[in-house]
This record gives sequence, C-alpha cells and structure tokens, in this order.
Amino acid sequence: MGWGEGRRFCLHHRAAGGRPRARVLYLHPLAEEMNRSRRMAALQARALAGAGFEVLQIDLHGCGDSAGDFADASWQGWTADALQACEWLRAQPGAAPLWLWGLRAGALLAVEAAHALPVSCNLLLWQPPASGAAVLQQFLRLRLAEGLAQGQAGALMKTLRAQLDAGQAVEAAGYTVSPALAHGLQAATLVPVLPRAGRLAWLELGGSEPAAPSPAAQPLIDAWSRGGWQVHAQRVPGPPFWATAETETAPALLQATLQALHDEVMA
Amino acid sequence: MDTQQEVLALLDELLGLGGRTAEFTRDTPLLGALPELDSMGVVALLGGLEERFGLVLADDEIEGATFATVGTLTDFVAARLAA
Repeated sequence: MGWGEGRRFCLHHRAAGGRPRARVLYLHPLAEEMNRSRRMAALQARALAGAGFEVLQIDLHGCGDSAGDFADASWQGWTADALQACEWLRAQPGAAPLWLWGLRAGALLAVEAAHALPVSCNLLLWQPPASGAAVLQQFLRLRLAEGLAQGQAGALMKTLRAQLDAGQAVEAAGYTVSPALAHGLQAATLVPVLPRAGRLAWLELGGSEPAAPSPAAQPLIDAWSRGGWQVHAQRVPGPPFWATAETETAPALLQATLQALHDEVMA
Repeated sequence: MDTQQEVLALLDELLGLGGRTAEFTRDTPLLGALPELDSMGVVALLGGLEERFGLVLADDEIEGATFATVGTLTDFVAARLAA
C-alpha cells in the first residue's frame, strides 16, 4: 500500500473458505528480530489463513521491503503504518472482528495502535516485553555484546544513552536506531486499552512444558482483566526464535495461537 | 538442580542448542567458541539470567570474562545468588 516514501510492502493471506472469521494484522519485531522470526510469522500466517482467518503482514517504514531506511524510522511513523493497515483491513468487504497480532516490540506497537483506533479490536500478543524501555535496553545491550571481548560495558551504555538524548542516532548489530524511534520505544508500555475492551491472547515462550506466563507478566495481565478485557494467557515450550542464530520454529506456539483464536472467535 | 545444571539448561533453551549442553563441562568455552552465542545470543542470555535467577544486571557488571566458559558463567551466577 502507499507510494513513494509511504510505500509499504504487505503480504495478504486470504481466508480459506471465503468469508473470514476474523481479520488479523501482524506487526513484526525490532531490527534483526524481524529477520529471525520471519519463518514463524509466515508459518503462523499460513496456518491462520488455512483455518479461515484473513491475515495481513506489513513491513514497517524502513523495514524489510518497505520504503525508507531503518535509520529514518520512528515509533510514531510505525504507529501510523499500523493504523493505515488496520484501515485497509477494515475496508475489506464483510464485517469481521479485527485482531492485532504483534511479536515482541510488535506487541507494544499493537497496543499503541489499539489505543489510537476509533473502534474496538482484539489483541494477540506474542512474547510481550515488559515495556518498550526493556526492548530499548536490550537493543543497546547488543552494542555492549559486540564489544564484550574488549573492556567495560558500563561506560559504553552511558555514552549511547547520552547520544540519544543529544539527538543522535545509535548503531548496534548493523541497525541504526534514530532518537525518534528510541524515545518512542522508551515510552511504549502495555497499559490496557480502555474503555473499549476486547479479547486479549497473551502467549509467551519458555520452559519445557505448558505453564502460566512469567510472574513478572502477571500484574500487567491482571490490569487488562480488570479493565474488562477477556484474557487468555499462557506460556508454551519453545525456543526464542526471534533471537536464535539458526532459524527455529515453535510448533507449540503455532498450535496454541490457532487454538486461542479459534476459541476466542467461536465463543 | 545445581547452579551449573540450571545455567546449562538456560543456555540450551535460549540458544537452541538441542541438548548439546549435556556434553558441556566447566571448561567448555562459550564466548567466541559457540557460534550460537552471537550478540543477540548474549543479550538473550543476559535477559534469561535475569529472569531465571531473579538477578538485575547493571551495565558495568557485564564483562567478556564472565562468558568465557561454562565455569566462569556458573561462578558469576552463584556469586550473585549468594550475595
């Protein structure tokens, strides 16, 4: 969709069987995590389409095959991209519930977009981070990790933060994050969208058997429940595929996602 | 599970080692020797250590020497847990 600097590459998966049970927008994670999680996103999108869901995957500004440089991206710009993609889905013929599906920073973006949407929506969050600040810290730590063999990390982190505050971009692991993106990310949280409530599927990966989400996530999850959202939260075994050097898949997550959406949409 | 076993389990899970950590000993080299431990692997490991062991790692605590071997990493975790 779009043209020139506003051009965004999208993959549209039509729902098997014609009329979709729901329309799902996928928002990818930050920088290299997007590349490493490509396969899982594709597998899930196809599985969802096969199960009767319409899925739209969008490459955000400066990412993948979309226009622009990553260094020019901003959180505000990405939110606008997400909202534009929502409008495109909502304009498709026939009413169907809208789901925003995000992985890691994409989950934060999904929540950001949900706050700004003029209508209610549902959320499918994969490995929601504690906050955008946590994601930014992890990104900056990549720079520390690169220089781990040589010397101290503390001074470098301070330097990177000072650079951002002074309006300069920072580079880590081949990606340049602009101050606009960094500050937007720093401020992003998983505060519940109110008053319009919907359904929330919160899925985390880790451990060797199905369990409840991590204890740190519980207060956040409770806040959504208290806000009137219908929450399904679980942790499934599987590798952190957005971070592993080799491409990994998490079949348990694919299955849990299909099940969660099936249950939520059929309820 | 002792600390070394927990650390190995974490490495296996986070780096996608597929059970290879069963062969690891204290002397098994990590940083610079394990291809799966690239910069994203290091960051995933830092986060995993924090979450699994309830630690908060300050930026100036993060040193290459800590990740040199299974033994140096285990000792680092054990020392923080004892503190």
